[in-house]
Amino acid sequence: MVNYGGDEVSALVLDIGTSSLRAGYAGDDTPKAIIPTSYGYIDIPQQQQSAEGGGDGDVTMAEGDAATNGEAAPMPEQSSQKKVKLFIGQNGPSMWREGMNVANPVQNGMITNFEPIPPLIDHALREVMRCEPSEHPILVTEPAWNTSANRERMAEIMFEEFHVPAFYISNTGVLNAFAAGKGSAYVIDIGSSTASVTPVIDGFVLRRGIVRLAHSALPQLMQAHARHLLIAQTSRRPGIELWSHQLIASRQPVDPGAPPKFELRQDRIAGTTESWKAWAEAREVEEWIQSVAGVLDQGWNEQAASARGARHYEFPTGYSNYSSAAERYSVGEQFFTHSPQLVASNPNLPKTIPALISGSLSACEPEIRQVLMGNVVLTGGGSLFAGFVDRLQTELSRNFPHAKIHAPGNPTERRYGAWLGGSILASLGTFHQLWISREEWEEHGKAIVGQRCK
Amino acid sequence: MAGASAADVRSILSLPNPSTPGPSQLRRTPSTAEKARKPDGISRELYSLIGPSAPTLATQLAKPRLKQKPNLGSSGRVKWEWKQFNNGARGDGLKLSHWVKAGTNPEADYPFAKYNVQPMSYVFSHDEYTRLLEDKDWSKDETEYLFQLVKDYDSRWYIVHDRYDWEDGPERSMEDLKDRYYSVCRKLVRSRPWAGDDASRNQLIASLTFDKEREVTRKKYIASLESRTPRQKAEEDALYIELKRLEQNERQFKRDRDELLRTLLGIESGLPDLPVEEDGLISAPVDSKKKKKGHMSATAEPETPVSSTSNVPNVISLGQPQTKKSQSANSARYDATHCIHRTDVPATTSTTTKAAHAPVYLRSYKLPQPRAPSAAKVAQVLGELGISHTRLVMPTRENCAQLENLLEAATALVETKKVVDKVEQDIRIMKTRLGEQESGGGEEEAETGDTVPTPMDVDDNNDAEGEVNGRAQSVVSTRSTRSRRQSRRSVSISSVDTSGAVKRQKRG
Repeated sequence: MVNYGGDEVSALVLDIGTSSLRAGYAGDDTPKAIIPTSYGYIDIPQQQQSAEGGGDGDVTMAEGDAATNGEAAPMPEQSSQKKVKLFIGQNGPSMWREGMNVANPVQNGMITNFEPIPPLIDHALREVMRCEPSEHPILVTEPAWNTSANRERMAEIMFEEFHVPAFYISNTGVLNAFAAGKGSAYVIDIGSSTASVTPVIDGFVLRRGIVRLAHSALPQLMQAHARHLLIAQTSRRPGIELWSHQLIASRQPVDPGAPPKFELRQDRIAGTTESWKAWAEAREVEEWIQSVAGVLDQGWNEQAASARGARHYEFPTGYSNYSSAAERYSVGEQFFTHSPQLVASNPNLPKTIPALISGSLSACEPEIRQVLMGNVVLTGGGSLFAGFVDRLQTELSRNFPHAKIHAPGNPTERRYGAWLGGSILASLGTFHQLWISREEWEEHGKAIVGQRCK
Repeated sequence: MAGASAADVRSILSLPNPSTPGPSQLRRTPSTAEKARKPDGISRELYSLIGPSAPTLATQLAKPRLKQKPNLGSSGRVKWEWKQFNNGARGDGLKLSHWVKAGTNPEADYPFAKYNVQPMSYVFSHDEYTRLLEDKDWSKDETEYLFQLVKDYDSRWYIVHDRYDWEDGPERSMEDLKDRYYSVCRKLVRSRPWAGDDASRNQLIASLTFDKEREVTRKKYIASLESRTPRQKAEEDALYIELKRLEQNERQFKRDRDELLRTLLGIESGLPDLPVEEDGLISAPVDSKKKKKGHMSATAEPETPVSSTSNVPNVISLGQPQTKKSQSANSARYDATHCIHRTDVPATTSTTTKAAHAPVYLRSYKLPQPRAPSAAKVAQVLGELGISHTRLVMPTRENCAQLENLLEAATALVETKKVVDKVEQDIRIMKTRLGEQESGGGEEEAETGDTVPTPMDVDDNNDAEGEVNGRAQSVVSTRSTRSRRQSRRSVSISSVDTSGAVKRQKRG
């Protein structure tokens, strides 16, 4: 037991990201529960509210939707007495429901709306993992730029609502470094909405290295670019309609490039909310990006791009076409360079990856820059973007000839790196002295979180 | 019974009975060697019959030894229990649970608590501060804040510096923080009474020293290294390569000079005749390129490497330096009486390098060899004289010199003969050609030129080949000396064959 330093106390690890919420037992290599962070909700009309009266979860759970859904709890919105019904989990936002809106409590990697967080966690732990949180210590992750108010709120939710015996909150950057087996690392995390760089030394984040906004909404810019590419009309093709399959009644096969022949489900169109439509369209764009888009490994070069050839892709409407190489590779280029026109038109452009790296490195001691560059850890689902690792290597080796990138080939490790690091950390025998216990929480209050989780 | 059957066998084979009586021998043998060495799989009776000369087949009858099966389950299975434990490293009573083997003492210390090592931290009192630690740049509060941070982050200075956030104070660099911390610690250690001996105290103080100036300079240097422009980097690289090339040239030059010495002075140079490669650092293609370059520089302007480096051991002096002239008359007499000849070790070569080192050798190893092109001939000549030039019965200095003279003479003789033969051959060819021209046929000319059988032809076979292959040989000679040596050997082998033929011809 002491040989490998592990001592499992059946702790839980919870990692909340923009696209998904991961939960599982510490000591496992993959999270047991992976559910989307986005959730659907339907406002409950006033008269129904009064009919329910003091009814809590059970009443609404009896409804048909809720039963298939796994989780539905009416919850009071912050100040107003308006009640909403939540749809969470794999069948939450992805199922079409009349009047259902979709929202995401996480913005830029940070939780901005704590209202749906307890139901989300509850769903992951109780419904998916079928475990009782009050029996397990829990380790939660946070981004490096998290506020202390936010982490205290998280501790409060855990202790007061889930009655966990012990709690700890740890930085995703540090955990990613641990998952790669490193104490000191330069973590480049490309999430679904945020790209960030975090210098980690001896298991601590260098705050100076992240103080100058070392994260940016680069993936969002990339997605917006791709969406614009698809819906804009070009000389070669008309703009593409991004209807999702939930709204399509029937379609017929057509030749590539020919206008699609499909019929919409008119019964659903009226009841579709704007937020759900936006969510569904974003998903279509994401699908297209993942199957078609890429980035050139040696910088933008029209010829090199055209040498890669076009690729076929079919949309849910039945429309299919060959995405030209220039189209495909211009998407990935957004990560590394911004065109001058774009910069001129938009002053608040998210920083590119090279800009992020140089900005955060210049804030570090010159002595440790080489150490950091020798231990670059690339993580996050966005880093699985085709050709990303090669391109990053090219960009880094320009300034740091000895830069070495650790990028796990296993996609699970790449996507859930922070969870994996948390799983390793929370199963270490030497870690158990760091837990904030319920006793300490009751004695010291919120201040203990800042003291213990440095 | 076994003894009886053995006796039967003896009588059947009409073997003589052992001199000692049977029973005593029988009693002795099984008790010691045979019993101990009886292999498995042979019955005792059979073994006593055939003795230790058992056929190998019998040993194979032994039961094959397999890897022992793991003993599972039978010896009581281990029970594990989900038990609460107390972590000694924690300040509160948090009870976590884990799986332990049943029967483990629940009150035992948590095995991981021992890793909770608290680093040595220094605390100072108000009195100590006012007495010793006053500093115009630092307030007491800030110093205490610094000490708290260092304690919190276990002296991880990068983190301490990163988290250092003192509102009223000026911006502190990491060197400022370290300097303050270590100077305070040193003063505290010095001023406080010390329980141990002075050595350990000095050691502790030494471990707390911090040279701020040096660290700052070092940091600046690192920063300047990073801020180099690509051009500067390229220039540095070029300079480095240039330096390496100069070193290479120098080495090459030295090797050439050694070879020259060896060629000019032969054995007297005192250099071992095998050129030793000094290092395997340079890969072969680069080496060859460098070699050419080295040759060029050495031949064209041999002074350059010397003047550029101005190293004393590299000064060229082909003549023997007059070093050991100051020998006393006494020692000269001593040498004379004891037949000691002192050869002058060439002081030009630096004795530190492998190539220039002349190890002690037997003189018989340094017997003069006939020169390459006519070696076979010379050997043949000497063989006819009944002298072996490869082995001297008494290789004294004089004998060696004699042998060398002899070799030189033989070489000269062979050379002369060769020239004579060639001239005669030419004359003959010319004569035949003249005769042919007079008689007529132009196309016959070429044929006869090639096929005229001459008595000298057989003898000259090798030389003719040498002449024909002149170009090929020159190509070969540009290769390494080893390959040249091998080719020489092969030539000599073929010459042995032909020489035998020649002798037979002469006899016949």
